[in-house]
Amino acid sequence: MAIVKPEMKSYIWLKTADGSIQEVEEEVAMFCPVICRELLQNGKGSSKNCAISLPERVNPASLELILEFCRFHQVPGRSNKERKKHDEKFVRLDTKTLCDLASAADSLQLRPVVDLTSRALARVIEGKTPEEIRETFHLPDDLTEEEKLEPLRNMTDDPRIRLLNRLYARKRKELYDRKKLKNVDAEEEPLVDERSVDDLLSFINSGDQDSKGARVTKNKKKSRGRKEQARNLSSNNEAGNYNKESNCHTSGCLNGDTNDGSSPSRNSKLQNSPSAMFSSKLDLDDFDIDDELDPARKEEIDREVEDFARRLDSVWPERIQQILSLGQETRRLRPISMNGNGSMERCTAGVDRG
Amino acid sequence: MAYAFPEEVLEHVFSFLTSDKDRNAVSLVCKSWYEIERWCRKRIFVGNCYAVSPKIMIRRFPEVRSVELKGKPHFADFNLVPEGWGAYVYPWILAMSRSYPWLEEIKLKRMVITDESLELISKSFKNFKVLVLSSCDGFTTDGLAAIAANCRNLRKLDLGESEVEDLSGHWLSHFPDNCTSLVSLNIACLASEVSLLALERLVTRSPNLRTLRINRAVPLERLPNLLRRTSQLVEFGTGVFSADVRSDFFSNLTEAFSSCKQLKCLSGFWDVVPAYLPALYPVCSRLTSLNLSYATCQNPELGKLISQCHNLQRLWVLDFIEDTGLEELAANCKDLQELRVFPSDPFAAEPDTTLTEQGLVAVSDGCPKLQSVLYFCRQMTNAALVTIARNRPNMIRFRLCIIEPRTPDYLTLGSFDAGFGAIVENCKELRRLSLSGLLTDRVFEYIGAHAKKLEMLSIAFAGDSDLGLHHVLSGCDSLRKLEIRDCPFGDKALLANAAKLETMRSLWMSSCSVSFEACKMLAQKMPRLNVEVIDERGPPDTRPESCPVEKLYIYRTVAGRRFDTPGYVWTMDEDTAVRLT
Repeated sequence: MAIVKPEMKSYIWLKTADGSIQEVEEEVAMFCPVICRELLQNGKGSSKNCAISLPERVNPASLELILEFCRFHQVPGRSNKERKKHDEKFVRLDTKTLCDLASAADSLQLRPVVDLTSRALARVIEGKTPEEIRETFHLPDDLTEEEKLEPLRNMTDDPRIRLLNRLYARKRKELYDRKKLKNVDAEEEPLVDERSVDDLLSFINSGDQDSKGARVTKNKKKSRGRKEQARNLSSNNEAGNYNKESNCHTSGCLNGDTNDGSSPSRNSKLQNSPSAMFSSKLDLDDFDIDDELDPARKEEIDREVEDFARRLDSVWPERIQQILSLGQETRRLRPISMNGNGSMERCTAGVDRG
Repeated sequence: MAYAFPEEVLEHVFSFLTSDKDRNAVSLVCKSWYEIERWCRKRIFVGNCYAVSPKIMIRRFPEVRSVELKGKPHFADFNLVPEGWGAYVYPWILAMSRSYPWLEEIKLKRMVITDESLELISKSFKNFKVLVLSSCDGFTTDGLAAIAANCRNLRKLDLGESEVEDLSGHWLSHFPDNCTSLVSLNIACLASEVSLLALERLVTRSPNLRTLRINRAVPLERLPNLLRRTSQLVEFGTGVFSADVRSDFFSNLTEAFSSCKQLKCLSGFWDVVPAYLPALYPVCSRLTSLNLSYATCQNPELGKLISQCHNLQRLWVLDFIEDTGLEELAANCKDLQELRVFPSDPFAAEPDTTLTEQGLVAVSDGCPKLQSVLYFCRQMTNAALVTIARNRPNMIRFRLCIIEPRTPDYLTLGSFDAGFGAIVENCKELRRLSLSGLLTDRVFEYIGAHAKKLEMLSIAFAGDSDLGLHHVLSGCDSLRKLEIRDCPFGDKALLANAAKLETMRSLWMSSCSVSFEACKMLAQKMPRLNVEVIDERGPPDTRPESCPVEKLYIYRTVAGRRFDTPGYVWTMDEDTAVRLT
């Protein structure tokens, strides 16, 4: 039923979602299963009026590419090498075009093009960081920090864990309070670091105090991000200093010098650095797990925690036994095996065969 | 405007991403990609079995077909991790038996697996195909019998270097007569005899068998028969390679090897009788991998064999190869990528062989593709290391083991700081490094400054102070695993770089100077780390807080603390602090 043109080729009509209609050689278009079906089963495409409506995801640009693909491959007698070479060149497209093409080919069920474009897109993705991938494909950064880390504590389907975390938070606070009372003991502790245990703990626990009332961080990890920046800054400074020294030492060393004299100064630098690290606001947000809750709910949870703690204390020994019996394997006495080079394992320098 | 994709297409794109790194990156892009990716993830690699729980894994990835787990820290290979430390695979097997009925592959390294687990595997996964147990222990041949008997579609059974309690060799007979699916069988680590008849029958009815590594107990006389039944082998590990020298047997053996036209990889060779080595000559030119690390033969026979393997890419050999043999290697094997030279007698006071730094220099000079080295020797110079570094900037793994701790450069009598410095400076793609010999803090300065792609570092008997550790932790951006023994590293560097530890898989420190107090502090500061103190002297709180702990193993985890620790392991956490004050 297709119109037969003088050159003995028959043409059919295709319509894309934007309304534009075009004429295509039948033998080329038939390469697509969907078009094939429309033509044979539903008898469409023989004239401009009853043009085959292509799926929405096929835009004109993709259609053109697809037809070009089909036009090449439907010619018999081409070698595999030729076809492969063509295909390799065919997918050298920008990412957006690749995506559109993959989409279009999928809706037309043109498997070879789907495969080609998918592989090409995989190569685009390979080796990239999530951020780079997001940029390339214009995707939103909509995973929360919690979801990215997948930590145990944010499993909303396990309220026990939430309670446990609260329990730990309170116990830590208790410890801090207790230490505060025992001031004398704290000072006696022989720390090489200048700061006392109190100071360190106060930094660790600073997040627990309401002085930070204004800070309502839904994404707790954002504060961690800031902290990390601060840490990087201070550590970069350190690294910078050391690098300067190390450059000197490299050349010194290769000239046969040994710079023992400078070690004391380097050591004292390090002595200051832990403090520097701590002072870069290591506010652990373990203590802020509930800061998105209202006070009434907080009270409720407090009561639950008390209750939970009591129950936990009573059943804990049993639970431990259960978990231990699950986790532990029966161990049999094994003879000391001497594989050919079993003696290797006792090698002092810590390098092995495996 | 996002580049839109139908889900099926995206899934199809993901199917071409095979590396875990890429799949992990993809899952972190956005919510929709996260969801799509987790439903089509088929392969999981868990580098530390305690970093995540089976429950979390199963919840997130419901369609997994292949799981790979690693357990004990690497230094367990040197008996530094006491018995009973952990790495029990049973909870994983149990959980997976309930949630992954279509699981096909389980690969374990340094884990404890019992017969019970093996039985559970054999009965729970109808389509089970691949079991790889590298350096595992805890099971017997009874467990293997269960696998053999029940896994109808078994393709690969690889026992690696595991410690198996050998109750009987009859487990092999448990493979049913209609089991014909075997592609790879490695039982080299088994000590006792296996039923040779069962082995021969199994091999005969496995037309797809491409890898076969038999154990030492299989006599050389049985080899020709075996090889004739499975001439399609690509990888073959012999049993004992000695027998009474007889010319008719020799030609039999030679013919059997020649008939294996696809043979690329050889191993085994216990108790080698040099007279039989020429039987391998016909296959040498095809070999890409040769493991002679159990072969106690010497030069000239050893050198002669190796120099015929012109296509060799990987060679594992004992120090009997000596410098001369390595020079021959360098001259003849231009495709060599990996070289491992093991000590034949590491505890000898006087070395028996002439294997020196010259051998390694020769190979680095002659083999342009050399990228992976493990070299045990007794002497080294900075000059040699600098030469190696300049010759091979493409080095990826460099593990040097000068046997005696703190050995200096024998020419300058100084440390190896400059030598290893040259290595890290020149070899920009270096991913793994093991240090040895006399080393000061300076080498760590170099490492921190240059080894930006370094992922694993092993240190022993090196450094002067915390500065060394600080350089490494603050400088090595890609560091994932750090293992240290007998170094004067203490609290400061560790605490100052606490946040770094969450970016790494694990840190091992034994016989260092980290105090118990620092461990507690670290655990308080970093709740997502498990800080395990391993101390066989008794509870740490029976000693002063400033007392250094024996061993320390720190790893990041989303699974919280573990509850299967033995009596000599204490996990530091908030509770410890509370309980012990």
